[in-house]
Amino acid sequence: MQTFHSIGTTTDWVVMVVYFIVIMLFGSYFGRYTKNTSDFFFGGRRFSWWLITMSIVATGVGSHSFVKYSAKGFEHGISSTMTYLNDWFFIPFFMFGWLPIIVYSKIRSIPEYFEKRFSPSARFLATILLLLYMIGYIGIGFLTLGKAVIPMLPEAFIIFGMTLPITLMGAIIVIAIITGIYITFGGQTAVIFTDLLQGFILLFAGLLLFFFGITYLGGFDIFWNLLPPEWKLPLADFNQPANFNFVGIFWQDAIAGSIGFLFMNQGLIMRFMACKNVNEGRKAAAINILFVLPISAIVVGNAGWIGKAISVVSPDIVSPSVSPDQIFVVVANIITSPGMFGFIMAALTAALMSTVDTLINATAAIYINDVYRPVRKFLKKKAFSNFENDRRELIVARYASVGVTTLGVLAVLAFKNFPTVYEAHGYFHSTLTPPLVVGIFLGVFWKRFTPSAVITTFVGGVALMILGARYPGIFIAPFDHGIEMNPDHPYSYIRALYNTLVCSGAAILVTITTQWQKQIISTIRNKRSEKTIINGIVIVTIGVFSIVLVNISGMFIQLLSAITVIILVPLLVTYFVPYDEKVNTNGLTAGSINIARKLFKGGEPNDQEGEKVLVHLEVVSGDENVVRFSNKDMAAMKAVPGDLVYISDNRKWMGGLKSIHAVFGHPHDEIGKVYISADQIKHGLFVQGKILEAEKEM
Amino acid sequence: MNFTHTWLPFLYLYGLGGILFVAGIIITIKAGSFDLNRKDHKKWMWILLFGIIWYLTMHALMIWAALDIISVYTMPIVLLGMVVFFVVVTLMLRKTRRA
Repeated sequence: MQTFHSIGTTTDWVVMVVYFIVIMLFGSYFGRYTKNTSDFFFGGRRFSWWLITMSIVATGVGSHSFVKYSAKGFEHGISSTMTYLNDWFFIPFFMFGWLPIIVYSKIRSIPEYFEKRFSPSARFLATILLLLYMIGYIGIGFLTLGKAVIPMLPEAFIIFGMTLPITLMGAIIVIAIITGIYITFGGQTAVIFTDLLQGFILLFAGLLLFFFGITYLGGFDIFWNLLPPEWKLPLADFNQPANFNFVGIFWQDAIAGSIGFLFMNQGLIMRFMACKNVNEGRKAAAINILFVLPISAIVVGNAGWIGKAISVVSPDIVSPSVSPDQIFVVVANIITSPGMFGFIMAALTAALMSTVDTLINATAAIYINDVYRPVRKFLKKKAFSNFENDRRELIVARYASVGVTTLGVLAVLAFKNFPTVYEAHGYFHSTLTPPLVVGIFLGVFWKRFTPSAVITTFVGGVALMILGARYPGIFIAPFDHGIEMNPDHPYSYIRALYNTLVCSGAAILVTITTQWQKQIISTIRNKRSEKTIINGIVIVTIGVFSIVLVNISGMFIQLLSAITVIILVPLLVTYFVPYDEKVNTNGLTAGSINIARKLFKGGEPNDQEGEKVLVHLEVVSGDENVVRFSNKDMAAMKAVPGDLVYISDNRKWMGGLKSIHAVFGHPHDEIGKVYISADQIKHGLFVQGKILEAEKEM
Repeated sequence: MNFTHTWLPFLYLYGLGGILFVAGIIITIKAGSFDLNRKDHKKWMWILLFGIIWYLTMHALMIWAALDIISVYTMPIVLLGMVVFFVVVTLMLRKTRRA
């Protein structure tokens, strides 16, 4: 396989360095709006849909990167787009199930949902799985960044007569240091605004590259006719080859990946939490998936298609044996001029950094919310004032960002031996998402789903997944849809189907046998040897799970052990975990969203649709969260005292950066005026004399 | 070209994906979180249905273009027409809601 080094000129490097400085300054400017952990992680729940949509572009395009889709575009053609065009199927579940729940229940992380919906032990297991998922995702991001930058670097640096070879891991460590510094001092507001800028630049750079490519080839007709017929199809062949087939990628990406991305990607969820309300979140999701993703699919894959067309007509310029992960850089260098190549590479690497930034920020949020705070509570540490607490948490969050960055670099080791980033990412998604995806999905949409079932999914489901990974020819083969097993990387994609089925199977089986578990535990409770029996079950459960985990004995014994885990874990959870279905599902399932709205507001929601009004602010003393409008303005908004209000600077282009949420107080008679406290003005970053726009929420 | 590379993936995608999509709508309606008595939710129903047809049309046009059944230039024209239709209907629904 042909690999490249030292691509690009000095001009390109100068352009890249300038681009990075501008982006970092831009992010740092908005970093000053980070005042507390809420701003650091969630941007203060204030932004408009368009800002979040563009911000998601940089995150989505960065993670589903130029490198991996160009590689598949080069190897297989336009079917590289299929993973971008299959996210709509789960959107009803997201828009009307998960999104309102995460906003109205005011959860700050996915594990927190597991505690509220199930139990602290479910939260503990979810935290472990989610941290593995997020750190793995960061590792994939770093791997892609490394692979993107390596072709531009020489094979070695010579310093003081010493030859220092440039390795993939060396490049990744340097990139990680730069990324870590930026996120540590920026926070979510900085990331959102940096991503907004980069979202536009990325789309522009990708489309510009396509234009240059088509021009280089002599026009669209020539490009289209140069592509072999199979390269023009939008979907891959049903079940071949093993490294890129439709059915495997359908289960890995359209099912596990889409639910994973929409339901458990903390980075994305935090973007939606940064929206000013649920409806804006829905708009951001809809516009992004409907219109931005198809454009993004062209943006990220076209270098591969252009590369394929050039390789057909001029194999001496682009050899068919070019390393697929390097095709983007190679093609960009051929079809653009010096300086422009630097700009495109800067856009690519900056986008990847955005993704990694978002993930690091999100993982730090999980650490603070699901490790730091519960541990402090458990150790009964001294309580600080809100201000002091926030200050300390902000410091810990920044240290956590550094720690997460380091772990992300180490995670690269697990993926770097895959032939392409695409396969590494596919394998990663297929393996790590199913237990959490099943847990969240059934938790939201099935009221009867119990803590026993979710914990068994995490433990028993994982045990069966381990067996699948260890004996793919026996466990995964029955679901392979005719895909050939590659012994080096068996069933990279279709394993998602097996993993989802075993996790769902364990979950459903345990849920429908809840009464039996209760009866058995009730019988045990009535025995005099209750403690001995329970201790025995604990020891047996740990023993049989260890058999699977550390690969003791043969396949049959391991299978029996996994089944035993699925039988015993629900009994232990039923015994140890108190659970009240009515309390634990209140406002936390799709069936109780109206209750969630009521809890969010602290009263009955007012669904009358009013108008937005424009007002001038008047400062009043006091530090309450109440604002007062005139009778007429409140009538226009169809609001009554106690309703929730969102007030923002009237300049639409600010996208809600200067805004607050408050509660309607008793009205006055001065039309066009809002009485607002100095604290609220400070928090909303409002400027005296500027017109504000107000709208009733819910 | 082989059926396994042209229409079989398409049928699998929109067969299974379609079932999941419809299930999502039914489940959220039954759960009460998607309430078609609310005008703003009616607008969302239109957007959801448009979305599935939008992607289905896009993939079908791409396959036809790859098979040389239609010109590759037909695809952007049809899709652009759909975008215009989507914007017009969505704006009309918005006006109706305000009225």
